[in-house]
Amino acid sequence: MASVEIRDLRKSFGPIETIHGVTIDVPDGEFVALVGPSGCGKSTILRLLAGLEEVTAGTISIGGRVINEVEPKHRDIAMVFQNYALYPHMTVAENMGFSMRLLKKSKEEIRREVGSAAEILGLTPYLGRYPKQLSGGQRQRVAMGRAIVRQPQVFLFDEPLSNLDAQLRVQMRAELKAIHNRLKVTTIYVTHDQVEAMTMADRIVVMKDGYVMQAGAPLDLYDQPANTFVARFVGSPSMNIFAADVSGGQVQFAGTDWCAAPADLAGAVQMGIRPEHFTIGEGGAVLAVENVDPTGSETLVQGQLGGVPATVLLRTRAAVRAGDLLPVAVRPELIHLFDAESGDTLPMNSEGL
Amino acid sequence: MTRNQRKATDFMIDVGLVLFGLLMLAPLLMLVANAFKSPAEMVAWPPTFIPANPTLDNFRSVLGETPLLLWIWNSLSFAIMSTIAIVLTSSIAGYVIAKFPFRSINVVFALFLATAIVPFEVYMIPLYFQVKDLGMLNTNQGLLIGYLVMSFGIFLIRQNVLASIPDELIEAARIDGAGELWIYWHIVLPLLRGPLAALAVLAFFQAWTSFAWPMIVATRRAAYTIEVGLALFSTGYTVDLGKLSAASACVLVPSVVAFVILRRNFVQGVASTGMKE
Repeated sequence: MASVEIRDLRKSFGPIETIHGVTIDVPDGEFVALVGPSGCGKSTILRLLAGLEEVTAGTISIGGRVINEVEPKHRDIAMVFQNYALYPHMTVAENMGFSMRLLKKSKEEIRREVGSAAEILGLTPYLGRYPKQLSGGQRQRVAMGRAIVRQPQVFLFDEPLSNLDAQLRVQMRAELKAIHNRLKVTTIYVTHDQVEAMTMADRIVVMKDGYVMQAGAPLDLYDQPANTFVARFVGSPSMNIFAADVSGGQVQFAGTDWCAAPADLAGAVQMGIRPEHFTIGEGGAVLAVENVDPTGSETLVQGQLGGVPATVLLRTRAAVRAGDLLPVAVRPELIHLFDAESGDTLPMNSEGL
Repeated sequence: MTRNQRKATDFMIDVGLVLFGLLMLAPLLMLVANAFKSPAEMVAWPPTFIPANPTLDNFRSVLGETPLLLWIWNSLSFAIMSTIAIVLTSSIAGYVIAKFPFRSINVVFALFLATAIVPFEVYMIPLYFQVKDLGMLNTNQGLLIGYLVMSFGIFLIRQNVLASIPDELIEAARIDGAGELWIYWHIVLPLLRGPLAALAVLAFFQAWTSFAWPMIVATRRAAYTIEVGLALFSTGYTVDLGKLSAASACVLVPSVVAFVILRRNFVQGVASTGMKE
């Protein structure tokens, strides 16, 4: 097992630079998720780590060793691909023992290692089958098994769950997490699904357009997003961002004072409120309800707040109907403020809390 | 359309196809029949389908007077070696062109395809002089030089690799520690079994039925392939129909048997070109 350090990593394809100086530290044994919308460069970083693409500038180290020029097979990594990349003409056991066979391990040793990995993954009854005879979830497990058998320093996952149906995805999420807790191998996990990242990772790196937007523990990103992009990306449904004004020391929007503004702030500001932080209550603004989605445990209400689309998530079965006027309020300490221009988070006064 | 009408239509189609099939088969059957006829019966009118007095004279004189079995052996070894060469060269070239897309490879690919536009007869003579200078006339190697590479085969394999071998498979193998040759041999080749079998059939019959090239490269009787040997039976002035029929029948039977055995590969492999397996 080893730590991974990425220092000022850059990658260009021809004249176009897609990764603009990314720095990420992954301590030994940690589970880090790289998230971002498609095209943000997260998969490219994984491929650079695996050695499938050449680094343009910067360094990648695994366990303190710079591996920019090292062949993929000597990097001591294992990668799980989105489409699993199982060899169709080999059985499950052959697929899983593939890397050991290349290392010229004895048949006995291969069988033992494959057997114990299959045990962990519940694949023992399927060792003699071919990939096409397996379900999606089983194939996913075989791909995991192939990585485990390798006993690498680092696991790399490239959207491993996105080909599974919703229910299986939740189940595999838990299994992956359990396997990580058991093996404690440093893991870098690429996904576009922030829920996956939030539930599985020790730390999340949010990326956009080849830049790191923010890195931190899942709940830190949720509580203290660095900018509006992270604020919108982390959490589901997304945070509401309203264009508000500061006047008289108060942040005002839709004719209502929402919270005390930091002392040196004036003029325009962006105000972020998570849908689940709204409560039905007097003294706040009024939401003109347009759409109500009850999911059983919660009620998702969409409407207009001060003429701007807004989403409110109620933890109860509210008797709300389209066309209603719903008075909503938020505790001031749950409100986020962002710079109107850059979208960066503004420090809140401690008195403001 | 009622069910009965549809049945009737189907029946008529079947009858039509059977008649057409018999029509296609008739010359071949006639050829085999002729091989057993005496010279007098062969030119008799109306022609008989089943020989009145079957005789083995034709076979006896063909096998006795000409090295027919040697010619078949020459053809067979030439065709098999050409098939192996074409399967290997097409799979390597097709795989590299499909999966190692640096810019100049497209130029190489275009050149490969361009060779398909030039008829073999155009460069047959220069190639002959090269073979002659190499001292390879009348040898199997000399024959092979014209039949080592098939541009259609490269194209066929490239399309199949693009359609049915995802990049991730090769990348996964690289990460797992496989070398490039190992990947080609243990991953790419097994996954191309279908198209390679189809290509093998094409290559085999291409070599087996080749005529002009063996004709000029083989100058000694003992080096002839069967196609060249068969042509000997018809000279500018006479055709020895009995012997030609007997020799042709000897050649026809193995080819037809081979085709029947390989038919499924032949049809499937070509039909599924470019499709996901």
